Amino acid sequence: MQALDPTLAVLVFSSAAAFAAGLGSLPQALMGRLPLRLLGWSNALAAGLMLGVAYALLDVGLPDRSTVVQGGVGAVLGLALARLAHLLTGTEGMDLNRLDEAGPTYGYQVVLVNALHATPEGVAIGAAMLVSLQFGISMAIALAVHNIPEAMVLTSVLASRGVRVHHAATLAVAVNANQVLVAIVTFAVVGALPFLFPWAVGVAVGALIYLVLAELLPESYQQAGPTGIALVTLVAMGIVVALVGAS
Amino acid sequence: MSAALLVFLYALATALATGLGALPFLFVRTLSERAVAYANAVAAGLMLGASFGLVSEGTLYGRGATLGGALLGVAFILVTQRLLEGRSEEELLLAPGSGSGGRRMLLMMVVMTVHSFSEGVAVGVSFGGGVTLATLITVAIAVHNVPEGVAITAVMRPQGVSVARCAGWSVVSSLPQPLMAVPAFLFVEAFRPALPWGLGFAAGAMVLMVLVELLPEAFNQGRRPAVATLATLSIVAMVLFQRLF
Repeated sequence: MQALDPTLAVLVFSSAAAFAAGLGSLPQALMGRLPLRLLGWSNALAAGLMLGVAYALLDVGLPDRSTVVQGGVGAVLGLALARLAHLLTGTEGMDLNRLDEAGPTYGYQVVLVNALHATPEGVAIGAAMLVSLQFGISMAIALAVHNIPEAMVLTSVLASRGVRVHHAATLAVAVNANQVLVAIVTFAVVGALPFLFPWAVGVAVGALIYLVLAELLPESYQQAGPTGIALVTLVAMGIVVALVGAS
Repeated sequence: MSAALLVFLYALATALATGLGALPFLFVRTLSERAVAYANAVAAGLMLGASFGLVSEGTLYGRGATLGGALLGVAFILVTQRLLEGRSEEELLLAPGSGSGGRRMLLMMVVMTVHSFSEGVAVGVSFGGGVTLATLITVAIAVHNVPEGVAITAVMRPQGVSVARCAGWSVVSSLPQPLMAVPAFLFVEAFRPALPWGLGFAAGAMVLMVLVELLPEAFNQGRRPAVATLATLSIVAMVLFQRLF
């Protein structure tokens, strides 16, 4: 591994995470319209992995008391930025899983929300890579897997609006492109200015948790029962905790 | 005074601190459906934040055991939930007509009480490192317990339980702490291997409670961005609280 240039590693693994989203269109391509319950579990899987990443970043990234206050303020900032992005794009509180007749602007709004959603994930990958290559890779893997169920839901929504599946797959990858950019920028800037590190971790954690709670979980409860949702989310969180142990 | 008695008294003081969590609700007069949803969101955030701390501590002792414990905790709550569903309100000693809210309240008490067992073991084991740090550890744990009282009251108060009773039940939920702290202190070597299992168990039980009961209830009645904001802020507050004190 030591032969791998660190910046190149960030590029490779964040790109892999973005491209993984394309796999999320496969079930739709193979099975046609997906059952609602499956979409619920997809949301829960995505939510659990994201919560797990937030936990791992906190645990590994801010281990001692000296940085935890910056991390906390950063988290509030991350939450505020996520809410602001929703407000400015007119997508606050929007149901992101509508498969019925929605207004003409609904499609672009859903794509936009998915693109905004990928941004803090980029910060998470960049910051995690600064901890260690191993930790960065495990977080990138968790987010790559997370991108797949997320793209499943996006594909379903787009397909219900008449978008062809391979177009939806391409869009699913494209909305994650900023994840790559943000990961590299975070890695470079925070790497050069280490005092920013707890802030970056905080911003990522706050935004990730907020997005799980505002975008992923509310819909999932309407698509599948709370017990199933809770179990899928918990197992996904457990997988990330185990993944950190392996790194 | 024997060291064991000292541990018991210190742990008892931390249990009593849980009751303080009910106090903020003295200032909350109206409890509309929205307010109840937001109280659930706060409780959910506090419990998720607390679980982060439990898992973090558990993995220091053993990652596999913590995850194994979490699985057991999840299974335990699922079984308890099934048992509660099969009973009538009279059997559960709940007020007639309290319905799903009453069952949620009971489940909350079960989850928080069970989680105190593990916390009690954690107290005892950490005291095992020497009683010199006792005061510091006690203050830290007492402070930890206050938001747990907030979480319990946030679920019970909307069911019409008085603030004083909420405080009482909060203390009850923490009583296993002094009871477990003493044997854990006396037999540190025997209890230490069980600690990650216990911490994982507590975390699994609490996260399941959050995901199955508190969040769906909050999303049902509250505005989505507000629920998400309150829960996120509560997580951040809890983590900061635990790390700083």
